[in-house]
Amino acid sequence: MDYSNTQTICPFCGCGCALNLEVVDGEIVGVLPANDHPVGRGSLCIKGWNAHSFVQHEDRLKTPLIREDGDLREASWEEALELVADKLGSIKSEHGPDAVGVLASAKCTNEENYLLQKFSRAVIGTNNVDHCARL
Amino acid sequence: MIQEIRDLVSEKLKKLDGVVALRKTDQGTAPTLFQEGDDVSQLVLEPRYPVAKTVSKLQKRFKDAKFGVVARGCDTRALVEMVKRHQIDPDRLYIVGMACSEEQAETCYCAEPAPDLDPWPEADLVGDPVPGAPPNPMVAEYENLSREERWDFWNQQFTKCIKCYGCRDICPVCFCDACSLEDPLWVEPGLLVPDFPMYHLIKAMHMTTRCVACRQCETACPAGIPLTVLYDLIRKDVGNLIGYIPGADADSGPPLSLTLADAPIDSELAK
Amino acid sequence: MTNSIPEFEDAKCVLITGSNTSEAHPMIGTRIMRAKEKGAQVIVVDPRTTQMSMMADLHLKQQPGTDVAWLNGVMQVIISEGLADQEFIKERTEGYEDLEAAVEKYTPEYVEEISGIPAEQLRQAAKMYAEAERASIVYAMGITQHTSGVDNVLSCANLAMLTGNVGRPSTGVNPLRGQNNVQGACDLGGLPNVYPGYQSVADPEVNHKFEEAWETELPDEVGLTVVEMVELAGTGEVKAMYVMGENPLVADADINHARESMKNLDFLVVQDLFLSETAEIADVVLPAASYAEKSGTFTATDRRVQLVHPAIDPVGESKPDWEIIQLLAEKMDAPGFDFASPEEIMDEIAALTPIYGGFSHKRLSNGNVLHWPCLSEDHPGTPYLHKGTFSRGLGKFHGIDFTEPAESTDETYPLILTTGRIMFHFHTGTMSRRSEKLNQEVSEAYVEMHPKDAEQIGLNGEKKVKVSSRRGEIKLAARVTDRIKPGVVFIPFHFAEAAANALTNSAFDPIAKIPEYKVCAVRVEAV
Repeated sequence: MDYSNTQTICPFCGCGCALNLEVVDGEIVGVLPANDHPVGRGSLCIKGWNAHSFVQHEDRLKTPLIREDGDLREASWEEALELVADKLGSIKSEHGPDAVGVLASAKCTNEENYLLQKFSRAVIGTNNVDHCARL
Repeated sequence: MIQEIRDLVSEKLKKLDGVVALRKTDQGTAPTLFQEGDDVSQLVLEPRYPVAKTVSKLQKRFKDAKFGVVARGCDTRALVEMVKRHQIDPDRLYIVGMACSEEQAETCYCAEPAPDLDPWPEADLVGDPVPGAPPNPMVAEYENLSREERWDFWNQQFTKCIKCYGCRDICPVCFCDACSLEDPLWVEPGLLVPDFPMYHLIKAMHMTTRCVACRQCETACPAGIPLTVLYDLIRKDVGNLIGYIPGADADSGPPLSLTLADAPIDSELAK
Repeated sequence: MTNSIPEFEDAKCVLITGSNTSEAHPMIGTRIMRAKEKGAQVIVVDPRTTQMSMMADLHLKQQPGTDVAWLNGVMQVIISEGLADQEFIKERTEGYEDLEAAVEKYTPEYVEEISGIPAEQLRQAAKMYAEAERASIVYAMGITQHTSGVDNVLSCANLAMLTGNVGRPSTGVNPLRGQNNVQGACDLGGLPNVYPGYQSVADPEVNHKFEEAWETELPDEVGLTVVEMVELAGTGEVKAMYVMGENPLVADADINHARESMKNLDFLVVQDLFLSETAEIADVVLPAASYAEKSGTFTATDRRVQLVHPAIDPVGESKPDWEIIQLLAEKMDAPGFDFASPEEIMDEIAALTPIYGGFSHKRLSNGNVLHWPCLSEDHPGTPYLHKGTFSRGLGKFHGIDFTEPAESTDETYPLILTTGRIMFHFHTGTMSRRSEKLNQEVSEAYVEMHPKDAEQIGLNGEKKVKVSSRRGEIKLAARVTDRIKPGVVFIPFHFAEAAANALTNSAFDPIAKIPEYKVCAVRVEAV
């Protein structure tokens, strides 16, 4: 039996409103505004109030998928990562690092974007890294 | 007062399944279910959240559990309305009533800043009750307006509405699964600005016998619409007309679920 | 944004253009409403009627793609009426003569011919903005998503400098970023030309610094933008793409072409929450954890860096993106990817990124609000930029001439299409369309068109129509409304099954490489 709120930042637009995710026994059941936050000051828009609703949606990807004979099939992390590492490695050595393009994400954290551009530049060896800032 | 409440909660946690109260951590402050062994020094009393709704949610989910809640005057009024509407089981609830300070009462224009604990099977009061604060001066100003001016006032205010449903979502006595505000029969979906006056009048009508004047809808309104000016007037009318004050009396059922024969309509005022 | 969100409330004039603020950035929209209640004048320049334009003191409806013209017109009025801030121009700027010469011919009457904005309204707007004690410019993709995007932005900057509305509270040039961490993705080097903190990849000193820190050799040539990557995937020069949490096959301009190009890749990896339209054609799909399942930081549009906290464990076998990247780097035997937590990653960021130099997860906890640049542990952060000086020293005016959008209307495609967002959905809809409450507000695509245009094609009331451009066609519902200018139609781009971007033009700004989403020629037919 557990009920608590976790304060975090809304996943939608760039206003950066804080919101509380209401969790009962591991299930996110709702959102409460953050009364002590300087932007929302206790209010949210309709997207913020519903920011929990897609998180545990049945469509969430739950395992890695690999394309085989035209279709995607479930795979283990080990198998999927092995395949990605192999392919990126061989394309890099055959066609050069600039044959690889990397898209970072306006929805991922700063730390994740930092790591991905580091991966692109330091591991693949290309500055072909961008994201949808323009889109 | 805070220490007294923390001590009381610690004590009660030995017997209860948990106590709903606000918890302050390095992330921020929000409601939580304190359980035995939890750090009650994190329990705080500000800001306000709709804890009656949280209690209802938890009682429905954990059908045998007995919870406590730290509640202000407005919270207990909301709890009363939720009991009447079968959303809360009073026998599975213990209340730590907290008397608000004069300053808190003034901020909320609160007429009854101390919780009325008489109706509750198990409750304790912490703090010294203070008298009610004067009403929101905007209400009197509004009452001086002509019919046309009132229409213009609300038309202008509701033009700011961004249809977040925050006034409903934060409301401690709004609980319906199917909400008329989301029924295309009454309100065209997906329209910004939402229909004036339908969207807001439906909300106001549904508050007539429920609004406990906690004013959290105004805090939650991103557009700063003075919703409680409307709701205060409705409360006043319902009080005058049928003598019903939401949250005040645990024994009288919600008037809209009584038959006309039972309803104590004041025939003079009804004219 | 040069300034921070709470500052809007104390502005005396807010000029909004190319932003449907209350729908796309609701909490900024409502701040501006508060400003108005406190006496600010609000000007909206937009071809559509929006909630903001309804409450504005002035609504100027320009022809899409004519922003440089009306901005020059505003400046022409300010200069000719003697409303420019001469002291600011003298002390803090250079190149004023270029601006003066460039805007001279943009009289309100000439601008009216180009933009359709009545000359008198333009004069009023210019005075309103220039005479305000503190005036703020707000814009979003309606200014940037043009082949003249950079010119539009520079024109906004010209206007702010001309009136001394920079470097003070409640003023500035405030682009509203559309996604919760688009600012952070840019700040942290998710761009082909810069390392974290906008440090140029072509600067040998910078390159050396990162080579030392990361203990490897690094490329010093500017890389490809997303638009170019997709293009070169089509020609076979780009063989593989690794996509983290993006959905270019709905978000890109001219997506039919983009899909063909990306299908040509030898290898495509997509890391996402859902099987997005892009993931559907991937060779490997990696399940990522959502914002609610991880820690880290997001940077809001006003450069405010804030902590994210996990509410639940990752769904299924999904993992936070940072963990996935680390596991992959490990598989490729790369050193420097053994962080125990995002907190440790932030420490490396702070060490290498001067504008983030003062950030740590510890400092950001307890609701501590900090805006970059935040140079050191004791630096208080910077709510508004350019106080006393610009980063380059003097602010530079650019004299800019109006150029036509890439595509113009003709007999076959007589209407202008402009795209954007609505209140109830977000970007390509992968998240918001899975919300029951948001979906019940709006569940399908529609095109907004003016009653006159609807009458032209014999449309009565709400009906299904076909909209086509030189690149594709979609079928969707028509909403006939006078909220839009005659001759212009609007389609929200959230709906993959009737994707606005099947129609849009991928012609882009030569410098920013941003496609012209906001102007293309289309035809609407009843079906």
